[in-house]
Order: sequence, then C-alpha cells, then structure tokens
Amino acid sequence: MKKNKVMSLILAASMTAASLAGCGGGAAEEPAATQAAAKPAEGGAAPAEFSYPMAAGDKLTYWAELTTTVSANFSNLGETPFAKGWMENTGADIEFLHPPIGQLREQFSLILADGNLPDMMEFNWMKDYPGGPEKAIKDGVIIPLNDVFDQYCPNIKKYLAEHPDIDKMIKTDEGHYYVFPFIRGDEDLCNTIGLMLREDWLKELNLEVPETIDEWHTVLTAFKEKGVDCPLTFEYTNNQYLDANPFVFAFDTFRSFYLGSDGKAHFGATEEGYKNYLETFHQWYEEGLIDPDIATLKNDQVSAKMTNGNAGAAMGQAGSRMGTWTSAAVQTNPDFVLKAAPQPSNEKGKKAEFGYVELPYSGRASVAITTSCKDVERAARLLDWAYGEEGHMYFNFGTEGVSYEMKDGEPVYTDEILKNPKGLPVSQAMSSYIRGNYNGPLVQDVRYLDQYYTIDSQKETPLVWGSGSSNGAAHMLPPVTPTADESKEFSTIMNEINTYRDEMTLKFIFGTEDLANFDQYVANIEKMGIARATEIQNAALERYNAR
Amino acid sequence: MEKRSLAYRIQKDWSRNKALYLLVIPVLIFYIVFHYKPMYGAIIAFKDYTPALGVAKSPWVGLDNFTRFFNSIYFGRLIRNTVLLSLYNLIFGFPAPIILALLLNEVKNKKFKSLTQTITYLPHFISLIVVVGMITDFSLSTGLFNDIAALFGMERAPLLQDPKLYRSIYVISSIWQEVGWGAIIYLSALAGVDSQLYEAAQIDGAGKWKQLIHVTLPAIAPTIIVMLILKTGSLMNMGYEKTILLSNPATYETADIISSYVYRIGLLEQDWSYSTAIGLFNSVINMALLIFTNKMSKKYSETSLW
Repeated sequence: MKKNKVMSLILAASMTAASLAGCGGGAAEEPAATQAAAKPAEGGAAPAEFSYPMAAGDKLTYWAELTTTVSANFSNLGETPFAKGWMENTGADIEFLHPPIGQLREQFSLILADGNLPDMMEFNWMKDYPGGPEKAIKDGVIIPLNDVFDQYCPNIKKYLAEHPDIDKMIKTDEGHYYVFPFIRGDEDLCNTIGLMLREDWLKELNLEVPETIDEWHTVLTAFKEKGVDCPLTFEYTNNQYLDANPFVFAFDTFRSFYLGSDGKAHFGATEEGYKNYLETFHQWYEEGLIDPDIATLKNDQVSAKMTNGNAGAAMGQAGSRMGTWTSAAVQTNPDFVLKAAPQPSNEKGKKAEFGYVELPYSGRASVAITTSCKDVERAARLLDWAYGEEGHMYFNFGTEGVSYEMKDGEPVYTDEILKNPKGLPVSQAMSSYIRGNYNGPLVQDVRYLDQYYTIDSQKETPLVWGSGSSNGAAHMLPPVTPTADESKEFSTIMNEINTYRDEMTLKFIFGTEDLANFDQYVANIEKMGIARATEIQNAALERYNAR
Repeated sequence: MEKRSLAYRIQKDWSRNKALYLLVIPVLIFYIVFHYKPMYGAIIAFKDYTPALGVAKSPWVGLDNFTRFFNSIYFGRLIRNTVLLSLYNLIFGFPAPIILALLLNEVKNKKFKSLTQTITYLPHFISLIVVVGMITDFSLSTGLFNDIAALFGMERAPLLQDPKLYRSIYVISSIWQEVGWGAIIYLSALAGVDSQLYEAAQIDGAGKWKQLIHVTLPAIAPTIIVMLILKTGSLMNMGYEKTILLSNPATYETADIISSYVYRIGLLEQDWSYSTAIGLFNSVINMALLIFTNKMSKKYSETSLW
C-alpha cells in the first residue's frame, strides 16, 4: 500500500511537471490529474479500473510442494512454461520455494518454528495445521481473507456467489475465509480412485467383472488357480488408499469417521461391519488371495506386480495407475487390459450404500497469504486471477496455440501435450504447462480429464467408481473445523486410536490376533476416548451445518 | 610454589599459552552455538508451545507434557522396545568389531587382509535409505532371504511383517553395516602392541590363544573400555531414521521406539512441546546411564572418562 502511494505521488508529480512544462495554461488541470492517479491507492482499487498485468513491484515468495510430474523435468516450478506465463499474464514476479519431496509437513513445521514465512504458502491449512485454520489466523501465521476478497478479488467473489455449497466449505465456523482453495469443479473429478482388474484374464476364465464380495472371492480364487501369485495386491500402509478402501465400504462402514444416515458422525472401525470386513480379508489372506506382503509394499513394487502379471487386481487412480500400468504393460503383453470394477455391494444388482468420493474441497494444495506478506494486494490479485475466465483457462489448459487450441468452442490439447515431441508422458507434459491436472489454487476443469484419459477403460472410471455404483457422497463427512482446543484434544485421542487401529487391523488380517478378541479391541478404543472424539466431530458438524 | 590469586594465574597462563587458547576458541564457539544455545529451547517441554508466540511467550504448563507421556498407553511399550533394542545392539553389536579386528590381526596374507577389511567396511558408506530398501526387498515373501530359505525347504513368509523377527533383522543389519568401520579403531590399537611382548610370551610357551588372552586383550583393554562407556552413554539415544524406514504398523509392537514416536508426534503431528518433553526425558536417562557406567568402570578398571 505504502509503495503504491509513493508511486502515485511520483506519477502525479511528474504529470504535473509535464503539464506545467507543456503549456502555461495547464495549471487548472493539475488537481484532476493528481486525483485520478492517487485514487486507486486510497480506495484499495476499484475493480472496474484494475486490469492485468499489474505494474512491476516487489518479488513475491511462494512456498509449495513440487509434484513428481513436475520434478521429473524441473527443479523449480519457476522454470516451467506454466509459471513463466503465469507471471507474464499477471505481471507478478514470483520466487518459488519448495520443500524436499516427501517432506512437506516436516518442512512446514520448520518454517513455522523459524517464523520467517514466505508470502504465500500452499498447504492443507484445513487439516494439517495443528488446531485448524482458525488457530492459524489467531496464531498470527496467516491473514483472514474476507476483506481481501472484497477489495481485490472480484473473480473468486463471483465464483463463490455462484457456488454457495463451495462457499460454505472453504470458510471457518467463524465465517473467515483463509485460503485460495483447490476446488474440483465437477463430480467426475471427485471419483478418481477405485478398483481395477485384468479384463483379459476375466475373459479367458469366462468371468464377469465382480460386483459383490462373493463375486470378488470367485474371481480372485480363479486368478489364484490360474497360477497368479497374489491375485489382489494392496499397500496396506498408504493412508490415501486405505481411506478409500472399497472392501471396507462393501460392509457399510468406514475405517474412520463418516456421516451416518442420522446426519451424525460415526467412527467406523469399531462397528460390526468392520469386523465382517476383517473376517473376509483374513479369510482371503489365509487362502492366498491377498498379497502376503501388504504391510511392506510400496508403490513401485505394486506397480511391478501389476504390470508383470504377478497380481491381477489392485486399487488406485485411473490416471497414475491404470493409465501408467497399461501403457507400460502393453509393450510386452499386447493383450493386457485393465478394467475398472464398481464399488462392491453386499447384494447383486443393488447399488452400494458406501463408496469413496472426494470432496470438491479437501483442503489440499490451497494457498494462504501469511502475515509476513508485505504487499497483500499484489499476492491477492495474483491468486485471484486463476478464478477468472482467462486464468481458469490458463491454469487448466495453458496458452492457446501452444498447449491447446479451440475447436468448436472446446479447448483441445495440442500434440505438445498429448504426443510430446520430447517424448514426455502426458502427465509430465501437462504439468509443464498447467496445474489443473494435479492441484493448486484453482477450479479444476472436467474437460481436462476427458482428454487426459486416453484409454477406454479410463474413460469409464468416473461413472463406474462414482455415483454409478454407490451412494457414497451421502456419507462423506463435510470439511468440518473443530475449534483450537477441540482440535488439540481430538488429535491427542485420535493419534493413539489410529495407531492402535492400524496395528490391530493388520494383526486381525494376518490372524496373529484372533477375531474373537474384536470386542476387546473395541473396548480398548472406547477406553482411549473414542466417545469424546465423536462428540467433538459432531459439535463441529453442527457448527458446519449452521454456517 | 606460592599460591597466587586465580585472576593472576589465568593472566599468566594466557600470556604464556596465547596460541593454544586461540586454537581452542573455534571449538568452544561450536559447542556454545550448536550444543549449549539450543538447550534453551528445551524449556518448551514445560510450555504449550506455538511457533507464532515463540519460545518466550508461550504459556507455561508445568509437567503436563510429561504426565501425558507417562499416562500414554504406549509408554511401557516404547521404553521396553528402546531398552531391548539398544541392549541387543550393545550385546551383539559391541563385541562384533573387536572379534573381527582380532581375527584380521591374525591373518598373515596382506592382500587377503586388506581385501577383507575393505569389503567389511564398505557398507558403512551406503546410505541408510538404500540399506533399508535392500533389506525390505530381500525380506519380501518373494525376496532373496525367502529364496534362500525355500532352498532349505522352509516356508516363504514376509519377514518384516513379523514382530518376533523385527529386532533380529534390525540388529543383524546394523552389525553388517558397521562392523568393518568399528574394527578400524581396534586394529590401530592392535598395531600399537609391542611385538617384544609376543616374543616374550612365546618363549614362556604361550600358544596363540594364551597370547590373545594375556597379551593382546590387556593391551587394547583401555580402548575397549572407553568405547564401551561411549556406547553406553548413547544407549537410549537410538536414531529414528532406521526405525521409521524399517517398521510398519504390523511390527510397531516390537519396533516402535522413543525417537520414532517423537518423530511421528513432533514433526508429523506438530506437537512440539510433547515431543520435546519425551526427548528431554530420554536425555536424562542417557545422562544417568553414562554417569553410572563411568563410575563402574572407574571402580573396576581404573579407566574412565573423568
């Protein structure tokens, strides 16, 4: 602000000088000129008068995780054509800072402890800041954005006015906006994880795509008899996949909290359904239908097993797993086809009640402006651009004529993306030009997905995994925010419970702990205070509903 | 010599040994900056620390963080795992390099000796992440260890999912990685043993074994004892890295130790005060152990650190 004032004063002064020098009679115009130049600085800029690109100003610092599809080719986001164009279009000068890959949260803690914050930080402020977003504001780490939105962000204001459901999600209970959010702009974009299996084997064995737990058992047994080492492979330590585990949903429960039909939050891992799930998985494990190494597997081992035929079914994303595996495997085995399997239900022909659906706003990769930021207007305008028409296209499709072209009014990626001349895979080529294919402060456009999915079975996934096979969206807990005190108590309780649940779950599956002891396990979780944790969730849920 | 005031003596000594004092200054600064100043931060163990408020302004909470740890259901397990794992590491890991050094010392073929030495200390230079990656791969039910076991007709089993095997895997892999490196210090101690002593022993009719017991071991005993004291001092001070990389929920029962727990709670859950409290508690035990071993050693062997 201060800088702006100084700038406008200089501007006004020079204009005055110019008019004085130009002609003697110019003196009468002087006050008008001064006023016009000074006005944007004083009124915080009237939206109508502002236009991109901004005038040159201070460099802004932007802290964010560098996703693997970018880091494969660039060591800094600033080197990508995407970032260069973003700066050019908005007129902002950005210095990007990245934590080492895989150390996002550790680095975040260290930066906070150090106290010297970057101007903008991309993080999951809703879930991963201890105490929640309201606490982050109270701690003086980030600034509330309500006034900032009103003054500098016409684009996001407009978007939120058109989407009141999103508006409700990205606020705190106190009504504070705190981030420029990552939003999935379409239902299809929320159904990107699910089950997949070898269709060529199904055909060979004369089997249908399984729809129920019993059918899965039949299929996996048939795979086993065919000589497959581990019919179903699974990393049982990757929380992303465990939260989306379709086999738990098949028993009408969750491994953590879900929204019951009564409109209240429930903890799933102590319910009868979870016991039935464990029973089934234990049986499958004994029968050799599940990978024996589930607790130590990592992504690359699962990928290897799926592509070389040591495993026949897995879960994962349509893009980074189904697509990557298929394109790798067809090179040696042209018959290789992966097919998406629907969320298993407990009755043939019936839609499953539970299923995995991502929320449009999960908190991830959303950008907050920190209290260290000296030029809030600049940062706000930079970020707001992505939510306007021009920025939206840029973030999702890149630059017209370079990474996409308009055909019949629809953006179509060019060969630079789809058949990259340098031989980059589509995901990496996309990540050089856009952010819409992974995440970031933007509204994701579904038209990207249709083109990103190149294989037929990928194109089916949104429907097969989504509302086509389950009623899952009705059971996802909305993004509630417990208060700072509640949140501390909640995480203290849940840290212990989650560790215990994960340990016991594996023991039950391996059979090192008898399922007859399930009641004891439930009693222990109750002793650790699950009732209090559920109470906190419900209080937060009530406040959320009242927003 | 008549006794002068302390100030006078310091001054005298200073003017006489200026260069020596100057030499020691960088070391002093290092310790002050990196070891003593950070101790101030340990007071957050008694506070409810928030980065935004800083160390000084965060509110005091007394011993809350310690009580929370002592009341945690994992308290007993963490202590047990830490103590057992360190003990096994000490019992099996400490003698290993000594034995290797003694064996190498008896080898007469120079080439074979240096080759063996190189092979045994090379693993020390492999990054821990790579080592653990190898162990993990070899321990899979389709991995190398199981291939070998299968040759002998044993059944394949995922080794790293069995809490009973975890400690053995941890300790054996540590020995494998560090034995050669650890042997270097003993080898140099052995090189310093006077060869006349061996000749004398031979004349007295001592065989190889007797020479080992009566000449070699007493000669390197001071080195062994100092190493033992140092090891004991860091007994509870086990790094989190290997545990974090090697363990999974299926083996937490025997694998989870204080430092890995602190890592998960402190850096991942960002509960700084709580994790500092646990760390502080750990250091106190360490300190006590060090003093105890030193005392014992002083009493029985006249070798000690202070």
